[in-house]
Amino acid sequence: MADKTVQLEIKRQASPEAPEMWEKFELAWRPGMNVISAMMEIAANPVTAEGHQTTPIAYDSNCLEEICGSCAMRINGRARMACSSLVENLEQPIRVEPLSKFPLVRDLQVDRSVLFENLKAVKAWVPVDGTYDLGSGPRVFPQQQEANYPLSNCISCTCCMEVCPQFNPATGFVGAATIAQVKLFNNHPTGKVFKEERLRALAGDGGIQECGYAQNCVEACPKQIPLTNAISDIGRDVMVQKVKDWLRG
Amino acid sequence: MATIQQPAAHTVRRGVQPLRAGEGNSYVWHKLHSLLGIIPIGAFLIEHLISNFQALGGPVAYGKTVEFLNSLPMVHVLEWVFIFIPILYHGIYGLYIWLRGKSNVVYYPWSGNWLYLTQRYTGIIAFAFIIQHVIMERFMGVSLHDHPGAAFYKMQQTLANPWMVAIYVIGMLAACWHFSYGVWLFAAKWGITPGTRSRRRFGFVCVAGGVLLAVLGLGSIWAFVGPKYANAPQNVPISYLNAPAHTGAPV
Ligand code: SF4
Ligand code: SF4
Ligand code: FES
Repeated sequence: MADKTVQLEIKRQASPEAPEMWEKFELAWRPGMNVISAMMEIAANPVTAEGHQTTPIAYDSNCLEEICGSCAMRINGRARMACSSLVENLEQPIRVEPLSKFPLVRDLQVDRSVLFENLKAVKAWVPVDGTYDLGSGPRVFPQQQEANYPLSNCISCTCCMEVCPQFNPATGFVGAATIAQVKLFNNHPTGKVFKEERLRALAGDGGIQECGYAQNCVEACPKQIPLTNAISDIGRDVMVQKVKDWLRG
Repeated sequence: MATIQQPAAHTVRRGVQPLRAGEGNSYVWHKLHSLLGIIPIGAFLIEHLISNFQALGGPVAYGKTVEFLNSLPMVHVLEWVFIFIPILYHGIYGLYIWLRGKSNVVYYPWSGNWLYLTQRYTGIIAFAFIIQHVIMERFMGVSLHDHPGAAFYKMQQTLANPWMVAIYVIGMLAACWHFSYGVWLFAAKWGITPGTRSRRRFGFVCVAGGVLLAVLGLGSIWAFVGPKYANAPQNVPISYLNAPAHTGAPV
């Protein structure tokens, strides 16, 4: 058991301008190891497989249970959550790279604020702020809750955007996550107040029309959010909204 | 950790830009591209393959079909407005869409992703084929508007070259594929099939329709290259075309 090891190859870059390079690591195997726990061990003893002293790897993570969305990275080429990527399920050497579509901060850390900007652009919230007590909200029937619950599972990991062929600087596509959140908040009896604005926002440049329906998003989403269904439903709603706006003049 | 203290707003954003909420007209241009693919281009493809299938009835039957199409009111206006301009727009805008996408089937070899890529390749193949087909058969050689009876012979001459047969088979199959998957995509993106099951079921419908169209197309290509009408006349006289029922035997 003691001689069983785990090989990792990690892409490193000290800053956005610094040159990129690969470092190899070899760790003692432990049961239940995942990619984040492996990198924690590297941090405790930052020595490469060749025996060179190096720095701990910079990466984002928090919950370690696939619920905060911060640890998305490319593992063996595929975008996924590092904390739920068990080492025993991965082919070795495990190649770990940062997400490719977001500006690099350092090593495996990227700046995913574009998703936050997109969620703001479509007002993905329920407006309840006010100067007086608005009382209890309208009743949401259980059937409606069941339909909405899967959409509310989004952890803003951006995997759906990373794997999308249309999400790139040329299109400035908004990505599947934001479209699914539009569906969630448009379904909400109070969130609905912004329904028309959200739909109009999604018809802007980089909006829902850029989706090529490659369906990678739904394959990659770690929370199994029905993204293609949401794109379809919201695609229809945006179209109806545009036609209404046009007829109303 | 230091990550929290990053400067709040970068003046120049790196990476993919956020949504330009409600700005610009790309929505309209995209949806126009999508709609034109179905109507009129898709509708015309179906009509065209059915008309061409009449070639299996021989030079006279084919000539009659061509004559009927020529008899439509303002046929030249119709072909520009409903065929040439929509196809040009769909093809050129489609290329623009292709250039802005970044395929990644190497890392994500999923079926939807393959179909996404195939839709781009079949599109360019069909577009190139259609351009050469229209130039050669519509704008060059004998005018089929003036001589509908010459249609069969003209196509037969083109397809006498085995390379042309290969080009026709590939171009026609690409067009059928692109159209069938295009209909499926249209239904998915316009919210007609918003459920996973409805998309699956409609997928079968589109495959069946695509296969049917391909069979029609292959059948008409066979009519021109097969032995049955090997000695087709250069031109079927108008009187033959206008005669009530005719066996189609060469004169
Ligand atoms: S369906 Fe394809 S193109 Fe559309 S958002 Fe998902 S991955 Fe991107
Ligand atoms: S929709 Fe799925 S893949 Fe996309 S950000 Fe949300 S959880 Fe991640
Ligand atoms: S650390 Fe929270 S999702 Fe991986």
